[in-house]
Amino acid sequence: MKLRKTLAAVLAAAMLLGLAACGSNPAPSTSTPAPSTSTPAPSTSTPAPAGATEITLWTYPVGNWQFESDVKVLTDAFTAETGIKVNVEYLAYADGDDKVNAAITAKQTPDLILEGPQRLVTNWGVNGHMVDLSDLFDDTDKAEIAPYALNACIAPTGEIYEYPLVMTAHCMAVNLNAFKEAGADQYLDLDTHTWSTEDFFNAVAALDAQYGQTVGAVYCVGQGGDQGTRALVNNLYGGTFVNEDHTGYTWDDPKNIQALQKLHDTMGIAFDASIAGGDEIKLFYQGILKMAFCWNIQQQLNPNSANTGEGLTMHGDEIAFMAFPTDDGNPQLCGGVWGFGIFNNGDQARIDASKQFIKYMCDSAHTADAVRTANFFAVRDTAEGADLTQIWSDQPLMAEYSKLIPMLGEYYEDVPGWAQARNSWWNMLQKIGAGEDIASTVSTYMAEANAAAAG
Amino acid sequence: MAKQNQNTMSRALARRETIAAYLFLLPSLIFFLGFVVIPMVICIFTSLTSSNMNASAASGFVGLANFIRLAGDATFIDALINTFVIVLVSVPTVCAFSLWVSSVIYQMNGPTLSLFRCIFYLPVVTGSVAVTVVWKWMYDNYVGVFNYVLTHVGLIERNINWLGDEKYALWCIILILFTTSVGQPIVLYVSALGNVDQSLVEAAEVDGANSMQVFWKIKWPQMMPTTLYILVITTINSFQCFALIQLLTSGGSGTNTVMYYIYYTAFKLTEQAGHFGYANAMGVVLAIFIGLLSAVQFKLAKEK
Repeated sequence: MKLRKTLAAVLAAAMLLGLAACGSNPAPSTSTPAPSTSTPAPSTSTPAPAGATEITLWTYPVGNWQFESDVKVLTDAFTAETGIKVNVEYLAYADGDDKVNAAITAKQTPDLILEGPQRLVTNWGVNGHMVDLSDLFDDTDKAEIAPYALNACIAPTGEIYEYPLVMTAHCMAVNLNAFKEAGADQYLDLDTHTWSTEDFFNAVAALDAQYGQTVGAVYCVGQGGDQGTRALVNNLYGGTFVNEDHTGYTWDDPKNIQALQKLHDTMGIAFDASIAGGDEIKLFYQGILKMAFCWNIQQQLNPNSANTGEGLTMHGDEIAFMAFPTDDGNPQLCGGVWGFGIFNNGDQARIDASKQFIKYMCDSAHTADAVRTANFFAVRDTAEGADLTQIWSDQPLMAEYSKLIPMLGEYYEDVPGWAQARNSWWNMLQKIGAGEDIASTVSTYMAEANAAAAG
Repeated sequence: MAKQNQNTMSRALARRETIAAYLFLLPSLIFFLGFVVIPMVICIFTSLTSSNMNASAASGFVGLANFIRLAGDATFIDALINTFVIVLVSVPTVCAFSLWVSSVIYQMNGPTLSLFRCIFYLPVVTGSVAVTVVWKWMYDNYVGVFNYVLTHVGLIERNINWLGDEKYALWCIILILFTTSVGQPIVLYVSALGNVDQSLVEAAEVDGANSMQVFWKIKWPQMMPTTLYILVITTINSFQCFALIQLLTSGGSGTNTVMYYIYYTAFKLTEQAGHFGYANAMGVVLAIFIGLLSAVQFKLAKEK
């Protein structure tokens, strides 16, 4: 009996201890900050010396910022210079938002996060979870950073919730071997990387005649890679996605309806509700799809992240990157901007340390390394006097791809209700693919997005 | 005096044993309270509020507003209909199929019986993600084995988008759910059939009952508690179908279910005002439906 009693008491104590451990919060750091090995250059935008010795960074898969081997080199160098240790957690686009949202709900957010303004500014920033980084930007910084990138990081109320590091233009890609086989390469201008809407549909017809299966997919199982489908629909006949003052969505633009109708009616193009952007890239890389609408320089450098050769499919077919087709010869590409934001966790020492990290990565002599790791283009030409224009001088493909940068359209992912709009967009594409009336379907889902925009 | 001492001692012994029993129960009780009862109470409470992720948005008591909003939410109604389709198709088919299989295999010799039990139980013990990924490959629009076979035997000309077409997607998911759900009922039915009182079976056979009469008049009533358990468990599992939807269709192609919509509202529509409260209201409605259906099943089984 005594043994049972003791056992029961021990078990109960163990359970209670376990529960208590589950619910415990990390104690705020009280350790004395390690002395920094270098003094930041005096500047109006230099953050105050950090008091925290350890910060946490969550990073979405932005180029090689998704690989520990690459990121550790950068964070180790930062630690060596500042004494601040950086713990990194790597997020995937598939469930990254869920993790961040759960962390926000549980008030367990990391100090830093690497992603784009559509999350850092439009969603988490506007909703009060991020720190305003305005004090990190002096006039020189504002002059140096490309307006496209800087404006994307500024909330409608003026706060800056993201410090931009890199940017690119999203485009599409074609399997050049397949195009040649089908006689469709005649429709491509590989010097300017542009083509007309008519040429695009002629090419699809030729490919469909050659292969008899889907050659291009308007993917819509979820929001992943939706910049591709948005750019495709908007560019074909010059439609718009948002209104001029960025307060609402304009998907029912007759030019968009025309584009959706044409895509729906074209043999060889399928509205595929079983794949997202990442799946499309994989199918394109495998040679199954002959064109991909979810593409950028990162994919061109290392298709499907498979390390099987720059600009090549798994079968060795040549991949050509192209702007989205237009009927007026003036593509408006969607851009991607990536940078760092700081979650407001109420600990000023950690916020200061995070700001120091941002300045180190985005505005210092070390910025070139951070940019190269991201595999995209720097948002500025110089950072604290360091020249960033030669970062990719050893990479001819980057120079070729930079032809697309002037084709960037306006950054419109700052419209309120953006998360809802993305959901509505792919749901709308699914319904259109299922054969529902295009005009009324677009109208229904646009109304849903506009309701979110109106708050 | 001696008898009084004995009574006191036995009462003390009983008390000590009772305390020991409660102490042994305590760990489970803590988990039951912490992970079932308290979350349920929180869920019900939250369903009456406009709780949301963003501190900047207003959050307060809204009464039954979330439930009223649910009644007019076309997406929720669609999800509810899909959920009921899954339940109404999957529960009877799982029960009927597992009863048929178990009635065929339960009299087989040991190794053969074990082999069949293993075959049918394998999808249950295999991780649901692994099972789903394999099915996803088979259903694949471009390289899936189903399309490969059907196009090569000339039954179809162009590939069928099994998971991307509203005509097929929900049925494809029901098929996977079916294969992962039949294992446990088969094992339970085999066991129940083995426990049927043989003297009653023999008596019925002596009285001239044929095999169908023996099954339905003698064996079936004795298996009723097992059937009830299987019905309730399969119903609950079908109502809570989530992983398949998330991994295969993300709720698209007409496969949205209440469970998936709860997750979607809570963690994807974070910009929507009061999204936590709204998702919790859906959870409460789902729990009510599960409770009602289980109660009906209990009642019907009792009447039998």
